[in-house]
Order: sequence, then structure tokens, then C-alpha cells
Amino acid sequence: MSGLSVDSLDGPQGDGEGQEKFEEPKAPEQLAGRSPTRIAIGRLAKDKVAVVCTLILLVYVALALLAPVITNLMDIYPDQKAPGSPSPSEMLDMGGLPSFGPPKYPFTWDHPLGIEPRTGRDLTALLLYGLRTSLLVATLATVTSTIVGVSIGLIAGYSKGLLDSILSFIIDFFLSFPFILGALALAPIIATRFGADQDSLRRAELLSLVGVLVIFGWMGLARLIRGQVLSLREREFVQAAQVIGVPTWQILFKELLPNLVAPIVVAVSLALPGYVAAEAGLSFLGIGLTESPSLGKTVNSASGFFEVYPLYLWTPVITIMLLVIALNLVGDSIRDAFDPKTRR
Amino acid sequence: MRLKQPIIAIAAVSAFTLAACGGSGTTENGNSGDNGDGVGSKGGETGQTLDETREGPVTIDGAKEGGTVRVIGASGLNTMDPTEAYYQNTSSILTSLITRAWTQYAYDEEANSMVLVPDLATDLGRPNDDFTEWTFTLKEGITYEDGTPVEPEDFVFSAARSFDREAFPEGPAFSNDYFLGGDTYEGPYSGNGLKGFEAVTVDGMDITYKMATPFPDMNYWGSFAAMGPIQEGAASDPEKYRLHPLATGPYMFGKYVPEKSLELVRNPEWKPDTDPARTAYPDSYQFDLQLDQTQINQIMLEDSSSDQATLTYDDVLDTSYDRLVSDERASVGSFPLTQFWAPDYTQITDINIRKALAYAYPYEDTYLANGEIAGVTAVPGAQLLPPGTAGRKDFNPLPDHEPGSTDVEAAKALLEEAGEVGYEIKFLYSKDLPTAVAVKDSIVASLKKAGFTPKPLATTSADFSTLRADPTTDINVRSGGWIADWPSGGSWFPPLLKSTAVDKGVLGANYSKFNEPAMDAEMKRIQTLDVAEQADAWGELDDTIMTDYFPLFVTSYGGVAQAHGSAIEGHFIDNTIGMPTWKNIWVNS
Repeated sequence: MSGLSVDSLDGPQGDGEGQEKFEEPKAPEQLAGRSPTRIAIGRLAKDKVAVVCTLILLVYVALALLAPVITNLMDIYPDQKAPGSPSPSEMLDMGGLPSFGPPKYPFTWDHPLGIEPRTGRDLTALLLYGLRTSLLVATLATVTSTIVGVSIGLIAGYSKGLLDSILSFIIDFFLSFPFILGALALAPIIATRFGADQDSLRRAELLSLVGVLVIFGWMGLARLIRGQVLSLREREFVQAAQVIGVPTWQILFKELLPNLVAPIVVAVSLALPGYVAAEAGLSFLGIGLTESPSLGKTVNSASGFFEVYPLYLWTPVITIMLLVIALNLVGDSIRDAFDPKTRR
Repeated sequence: MRLKQPIIAIAAVSAFTLAACGGSGTTENGNSGDNGDGVGSKGGETGQTLDETREGPVTIDGAKEGGTVRVIGASGLNTMDPTEAYYQNTSSILTSLITRAWTQYAYDEEANSMVLVPDLATDLGRPNDDFTEWTFTLKEGITYEDGTPVEPEDFVFSAARSFDREAFPEGPAFSNDYFLGGDTYEGPYSGNGLKGFEAVTVDGMDITYKMATPFPDMNYWGSFAAMGPIQEGAASDPEKYRLHPLATGPYMFGKYVPEKSLELVRNPEWKPDTDPARTAYPDSYQFDLQLDQTQINQIMLEDSSSDQATLTYDDVLDTSYDRLVSDERASVGSFPLTQFWAPDYTQITDINIRKALAYAYPYEDTYLANGEIAGVTAVPGAQLLPPGTAGRKDFNPLPDHEPGSTDVEAAKALLEEAGEVGYEIKFLYSKDLPTAVAVKDSIVASLKKAGFTPKPLATTSADFSTLRADPTTDINVRSGGWIADWPSGGSWFPPLLKSTAVDKGVLGANYSKFNEPAMDAEMKRIQTLDVAEQADAWGELDDTIMTDYFPLFVTSYGGVAQAHGSAIEGHFIDNTIGMPTWKNIWVNS
């Protein structure tokens, strides 16, 4: 969200950053028009790990976005309730294991990743839709918690005195809440409130999961931003703005925010994998999503079958692992790229 | 630490607690056809054969003394007080190994059946003509584990104790239902001791029970641990006695950690020649409970040298069943459980819609989703009375419907005939249990194909039975299960299908809200018949109700598939309760 606005807003306070740029000992002829963001992107492009991981992430996103198309083409279904979906007894043997493909029969292109024991759903379809859920939840949670965290951090850091104390206390208060307990307490409430209608139940579960992740996930960023603002607040360009009477909201969002892009981008890139893992973890514990496909749920149900059907467990585990590692490495690279003190 | 689905062993043995049995929210179904009935009949009788001449001691040819049997399981022992033990595991462990009562079941290997034989009584009890008085005679020379003799008065005290619903809320309530003073006497811990307790009298070694209502099944109730001798006094204080009930049987308590583990060691005071059913070959038993289901499965599959004398009374996973069978380490049997779907008789008034539901129900898919082994742990059928019940009649209310098969076309045709295509079916499921969600999904899929509009109502496993028992919950189908305490139709029809005051909020176990005065009268009439005629009359009533009214349909009968290590011998299934035949087990080391 920040890249564009940064570039256009870079001008007014170029003053404040110019000196940092001069410390960069590279390519003097390009000195003139390069913002920190541009420099960071340039550095990222040269970072092989970042490039590979970004490609992996793009593939994941494409798979998630195209999930309905792919499943349609392959004639597979993530949900036995869908019209046209085969019934479990058509797909499974008497012992609950698939009648086609692994583990008892040879590989088949109809179901490349196999069939889920007991429910007869196609595991490729489950994986694609699970990925969709994971990325949707993680993205929503990241965007929301970033907005909340940045706003509260900005306000707390810029306001002196009582308001800062109150906001800091709220931050500490939420930090002390047990996250899992909150999620556990919410699950039955949602069942009672939305239990009667399957569609609204699914939406309520998804949104409440995002809600839980946000409620327990914005504090870190808020603290970080508050700390940054505390130091920026005393800089000349801010004082100059105050002296000439720029409105407070404009100081916050036009003077301070652009200078916070680096920590925000870093926090976002590290929060995403955290939320992906948290969604999987909560669904594994049975307090996340029950109506939507989820990688965590597949891991949970597959864990009992590891002995007889290892592929069932490996696919979602490796998928989550790759996704989280790729996101983390990209996050690391972004942090390095934005940090002028890093030497490669 | 995911919350585990309440497995059947946790659920309940009896009619009373038994409502818990449908607790998973669903009933599963079995494989179609061919093997279904076969297994059912293989299950044998559940105790309707009586043999009062049998005498101890009992020996097993070739059995060796010694060894320790390790028993592993997922559900804990919630209470070991004889008066309150009413779950499958607690009840069968107590009555088979630790405490003796008036009567008991013996396993007949040839017929794979359970036979009711005497235990502490010299016979199976002597009723008067109208079953309002039963007399048992205590054998001579019986002692507790500490050497004190068992007195006839101890039976008076245990009977009084079994009235106490406050001290033993989870215990069976048959004494309250049938005994004299059942509605007024509140038990020895209510403050007045035995004052006002008149149901049991002693005359020498004869103990006579007096009933308020005729009780032809007293000889079966006499096999419950609650009817065994319990000494009056400080030792039997409910808080303490549950931690160490005094043994009269072959084993007594060693180290006991409530719920978690129990060690049983030999009781030197047990006299084999007074006991016509129990053997006691192993030196000790070690129960290790509350283990994870997959861990249990793993231990049983591997059969490593240290685990060969191990057995489990939990069902094995469907995926390991084939291997355990080929290793001959699976113990398969049945127990008198019927799981059913009960359409609301007051809302779904058209019998064709109820029948269409029975056609549309995805029996096989729900079995699979629940991890049941079709035809083994879930057996399809048409009658309310499960296989092994006295007087069970062979009939099918839906002549074109093979029990356990799904026929959405037939369902659709019936719905069209009734002019109710798109009929809404509202049922409960527990959304926190992945298996319950999978079962719900398969039901929704199948009902949709048949032209219904399924509307599942999500709840949690904690609230499930409360919501189901509430007649005002906005659902029109309830899933339920029922386990019989003894093999008589009398423990099935009155609780399940007798009219209840639904308008006053009383549903009981009448999940279908069935309300037909003619059938109420018929049940009343059968209960006053001669005992010999009752069994067949209940079988007839089953046919009449199912054919004429179709208030519910069977989704499966209960079955068990347990596993034992290669050194365990004599692990059969006690099909009165679906637990191992503890009395026959020995270690072949």
C-alpha cells in the first residue's frame, strides 16, 4: 500500500533523508532521483533468495486465485455437497481408504495428490482451496492489523502525556491476553449465533478468525511505530511543520507516515507467515474454520493416517512449510534491503 | 490437545445415561447388505438364556496361570463405586473382575453367546406370581478381600444405597423405578440412614426384594455391581468407596489413580468353587487409560515383545482392521446398541416423507466419515430391537429397501408423491468434531440429491445433548442411540416410543415425539403379559410400529472391533455390553 504514495510524497521532506543517501557509496551518477524505496527494490532484485521466494509466492497466489478454474478443469471437488461431486462410498474402500490412487493402488492423474480417506474428497482440490483460505485469512488479518497497529502507534507516539499513557496501557493490556483462550471462547459463541445457516456460519467463522488474529496481532506493530514516532517527532521537518501550522492529521500522515514505510513493510512481510501458521494452527486445534477447507484441518485429520497414507500428511505440511519459509525469507530480504546499515 | 470425540466406551451402558451415546451427533451407517445381517446374527444372544444349575469352579483347557494383562484405552474410569458405575468400561470391569452380585453372565464360546448364571445367589432368584417379590439366597462362606464375611444385611444396604440419586447421580436408577418406596426413600445418605427403607427384608440367608411395580427382569438387575454386597459404615462412604471398593471377586484394587490407571492384584479371599463363571489365570491386571487413540492403535498394530500381553477395549481404527484380522488379533462382536434417526412425529406428519428420509440417508457414507467399519462396528438393519434381543422379529417396513443402502431415486419418488419436494430437514451436528462435520456433509449431500432441503444446525459437542433433549429446539430430526441394559423389549419401547408430555417440555428419550395412545396401551398390555409371552409380543410391536407409523429408522446397530496382543487368549466380546470377556482371559507366555 505504501510504495506509490511514498514516491510521490518523497519530495517535501527530501531534506531529511538526503544525508542518509549520501552515505550510500554506490553509483554516484544516479544520486539525484532515488528514494529509499527505489534503492530497496533495486537491492531486492539483486537478491537471489528474494527473487526465488517471490516467484514461489506468485505461484502460490496464482494457484489460490485459479483454484475454481483448476478444479473445474480437472473435474474434482473440495466439498462433497457440491452438485456433481461423487459420494464418499464411490471413492473409498470399506476400510475408509481410497479406491483409486495411493496408498493401495497406483498413481492416477485423475487425483494426482490422492483422495482423502473417510470423506472421499480430492486432496488436490482441498489443497488449492485450503491455500485460498490460508492466503485470504492471512492477507485480511495482515492488512487490518497493520492499519490498526500503525494508527494507534502514530497517535500514541505523537501525542504526549495522558493519551499516550492510555494507549500504551491498552497495548500492554492486549499483549497480556492469552491468544488461544480467546479463540477457544469465541468458537461456541459463533456456533450459537450463526449455527442455523451454513453460509453465514462459514462467513462468520472466517471473519471471526481474522478478528481474533487481528485483536491479538496489532500490538507489536503499534509499539514499534510508537517508538519510531517518538524519535521522529523531535526532528526539524516535523517542528517546522508544527510552526507553520500544518494540521496534526497532516503531520501524522504526510510527514511522519512516509518515514515509517520501511519498518511497516518489514513488519507486514514478517506478519504474513505468522498469520498463515496461526490459521493452520487454530484449525488444527479445531477452533478455527470448520466449514471452509483449510490446510491446518487437513494436517489434523491426516495425522492419524501417517502410518498407512503418508502422502496425505506430507502434501499440506510441505505446502505450509514452503509458504511460510518463502514469506519469511522475502520478509528478511526486504528488511535487509531497507536497512542502510546492511552490507552484502 | 484437541477435544476428542466421545467414543462409545465413554458413552454409556444404559438406557439411563445412554442418551449420551448419540453424543457424536450422528449415527453412522454400515455397508450395504450382504455382510450386514451375517455379522448381526453372529453376535449371538445377549443373555436371554438362563442357566441356574451352573456351578464353580470354572477352568479353561490349556490355560496357564500367571502373567500381567495390560489394558489400554482412551476413556478413563469415571467412578469405580459399584453403585454408580454405569459406563461400559467401569461396569464390566467391576462386575467381571472385582465385585460379585446376585447373578452374572458367562460366555458360551460355542454359541458366542452370553448366558445368565448365578453368582453369589444359589439360583437366579425366585419371583412370586406377579413379579412383585424376588427372593435370592446367599451362598455360604463368601468373604470380602479383608476376610470379613459377606452378611445378608449388606445387600439391604447396597439396595438402599442404589436409591440415592444425590450421592450417585450417574448410577442406574432401576431401584427407584421398580422397588417399593422408590419414589419416597432417598437413600442412606439423605440423613435418616435406613429408616423408612422397606424394600428389602432378610430372613436367614434369604433376601427378599419387594417391588412397587412388577419387575420380571430383576434377575438381570441383580447382575449389576450396584446389587452386590456393600458393608454399611465408614468404609463405604461414597467419597472413599469409589477409590477402593471392597472386592468379593478374584481381583482387588492395587494402586489406583482415578481416571488414569488401575492395578488389580489377586484377592486371596475369592473362592473359585463358589463362582460358576469367573476364571482368574493372570496374576494381575494393569489398566493404563486416557491414551491417545492413534497411540493405542500403534501399540496394538506393532505387537512388540513388551506389548504382547496388552489388549484394548477401544475400537481399532478402520484402516488397521484388515491387518489385525489377518494377524488373528482382532476381537469382533456386537452389543445391543441401536442408533437411529428420529423425524419429529409432530412436524413431519406425512409417513411418506419419513420413509423418503430412510431411503435418502447416506448410510455407507456416514459410516465411512465416522471411521466405522461397515458390517463390523456399524451394522445396518431395519428393526428397532438389535440382534440378540429376545423375540426380535425378522421384518422390513420398507420392503424395497435393502437396510443400509441409499436410494435417492426412491426417496425422490416418495417426496414427489407427497408433493413435498424441497422439504426442509433440520438436524443438529457438533461443529467442533471433524467427524461430525464430515458426517453432516455426507448427509447434506445425499439429502440434496433426493430433493430435500437440508438445514443443519451447528452446535458444539458440549451443548449437543442439551439441545437435542429440548423439544423446542428448531430441528425436525433428532439422531439418537439406545443401549439395552438387558435383553428384553421392555427396555426399548416404553422409554423410546411411549408418549411424553412434549408440550410441557418433557422429551425424555422419545426423540421422535411419537404420540399414539393405541401404542401406549399396547405397551402397557405387553408389560402385564406372562413373561414367556412378552418377548414375542415386543417383537410384534416392533413390526406394528415400524410398519404402520414409521416413527424412526435405524442407521446402525452397535458392533465392536477390539484388538489384543499375540499372547492374550480368551479375549472374546461380551455382547451384552461390548467389552472383553474378562472372565475368560489368560496370558499365553
